[in-house]
Amino acid sequence: MIPENQGTPLEPAASMASDGKAAARKHPFRRALDNPVILKELRGRMRGRQAFILLTVYLGLIALFIVLIYNAVFGVESLTWDPSSRQIAGKVIFGTVVLLELLLLSFIAPGLTAGAITAERERQTFDLLRTTLLSARSLVLGKLGSAFSYLLLLILTALPIQSLAFLLGGVGLGELVVSGVMLVVTAIFFCTLGLFFSSFMKRTLPATVSSYAAILGSFLVLIMIFFLIAYFESTSFGSNSVREYMLTVAIWVLISTNPFMAAVMSEVILVDEQSLFLTNSPLFGSSSLTLPSPWIIYVLFYLGLTFIMIIISIYNVKRPDR
Amino acid sequence: MSAIIEIRQLTKRFARRTAVDRVNLTIASGEIFGLVGPNGAGKTTTMRMLVTLLQPDHGEIWVGGHSVRKDPRQVRRIIGFMPDSFGVYGDMTVYEYLDFFGACYHLPPLQRQSLIKDLLELVDIGHRRDDMVDTLSRGLKQRLGLARVLIHDPSILILDEPASGLDPRARVEIRELLLEIAHLGKTIIFSSHILADVAELCTSVGIMESGKLVAVGTLDELSEKAVPHRLIQISFLDQIDIENAQAALSSLPGISQVRLKDGLGKADWLSLEAEFIGDDEALSQLLGKLVEQRLPIVHFSEETQNLEEVFMRATRGIVS
Repeated sequence: MIPENQGTPLEPAASMASDGKAAARKHPFRRALDNPVILKELRGRMRGRQAFILLTVYLGLIALFIVLIYNAVFGVESLTWDPSSRQIAGKVIFGTVVLLELLLLSFIAPGLTAGAITAERERQTFDLLRTTLLSARSLVLGKLGSAFSYLLLLILTALPIQSLAFLLGGVGLGELVVSGVMLVVTAIFFCTLGLFFSSFMKRTLPATVSSYAAILGSFLVLIMIFFLIAYFESTSFGSNSVREYMLTVAIWVLISTNPFMAAVMSEVILVDEQSLFLTNSPLFGSSSLTLPSPWIIYVLFYLGLTFIMIIISIYNVKRPDR
Repeated sequence: MSAIIEIRQLTKRFARRTAVDRVNLTIASGEIFGLVGPNGAGKTTTMRMLVTLLQPDHGEIWVGGHSVRKDPRQVRRIIGFMPDSFGVYGDMTVYEYLDFFGACYHLPPLQRQSLIKDLLELVDIGHRRDDMVDTLSRGLKQRLGLARVLIHDPSILILDEPASGLDPRARVEIRELLLEIAHLGKTIIFSSHILADVAELCTSVGIMESGKLVAVGTLDELSEKAVPHRLIQISFLDQIDIENAQAALSSLPGISQVRLKDGLGKADWLSLEAEFIGDDEALSQLLGKLVEQRLPIVHFSEETQNLEEVFMRATRGIVS
């Protein structure tokens, strides 16, 4: 028989409304944990073997690269006991791991979320969810939160391998924090990118292909940057030309919006100028121009883009079929 | 009974095709309403607009007094929707599945625990509580689907083809379950191709064709409209001259056509089937007159018009 505590048909509506108000008063972190989608997704993800296999392959690849670099650096006997060489080796190992993590996260993240909404459509559970009181925002943030939690696990589990660089020295707290922030922002952004395509496409395969095509497209910008730099270095503008300023800023933005270039340039500025936040005349040297370090532009640009894509994804999930 | 669903001039077009065309319908609280019609008649489209999944082009729907256009969230609080395809999460147990949907309705965890236990008992799958949803048979999945739509205690259940694809036994079980749920005071609206299910369950029926609601009412009302005469079957002992009996019957008031009927009742009976127009009193008088004529009647009954015939007559001509 039907449970007695359910009351008359319209009573739960009132109690659900008050539950909703109570939930709104909760701390945001508690509210995130209350999101049923996060719990469901994490439970599903960690139940299968796939999550553990991916984690093992991820850590295995990073470990393999470190072994290769370590051997390459210390294989040269004369460098072995030289403190400055050890510091360089520490920086190289640390930098390589961060770049490798950036690369791996960029490819793993959309794979985790490109099917977030399309799989619900394919499984025919999307309509079920849309007729519940689960808001589009909770669904989108829940999917995003669970994928990001897994990526955070990948970033955290790579820390002990990264710490080999700390034994050699040469890596400062600033580099550690900046690389951590860049990795987290990269993970959030690429998760959101997959989710964004998933929110308006019907099937998982096109959503996945589109996500990776977008990533590859953005990596092509890297090649464009090299061509631009090569071209402008060979061109003379005369001092303080407005055109030179504009081009410097444009190229700086291009560099700053590419994960690898932004990471490398931030490190170069840190080493050359001992500056974590600002840099002077970074490109051509003929003009005096102070610009923010690429990682700052990177973080702000991708967090802004992430926010916009989340809003559009929520809108796509929310709107009724037409 | 007060109206719980009001549909006014509901219209939905997809490109050039009009899927739902100016449908008006009122469903009273506590009814079991069956929506029948051929494939592509507009049943699913109507239901999807009813449950806030699809935006109507014209017209309005009020569910429990709430407008589907303006107040979809309030509508979702009081409806439970089961689509024609059963949506499953393969990586969840039966308990987790219900717990997840309970959480989607913001039910507190402790309340969910006891609710799920009771609901699993109601749909009789308590023994499969910890099994993965994917391992359930289609019939059990459908039961789980019913438990899911009940999790937030909605007053209206909207079920799209709940018996489709089920084996005969599972169909009967689902039918019984729906009756049990209806006894709890829920209004049930369901679509079906299977006219027998509709005939046995529904307190009223709507027949859709080409996006239009071509007939609506109780089964008796529809029968009366679609087939105005009543069909009477009479059997006699084989000691009479059946042609005389046929002539005698034809001469009685209200009788239009009388036919010989084979295979009714025992082998040694002789049977006639007659079309009769008149109310119950007239029918009783007809029997009295036959008895007065000392005909050896052993069987006298009215054949109930089946929904199939009503359906065929209601939809005839519109398809062509």
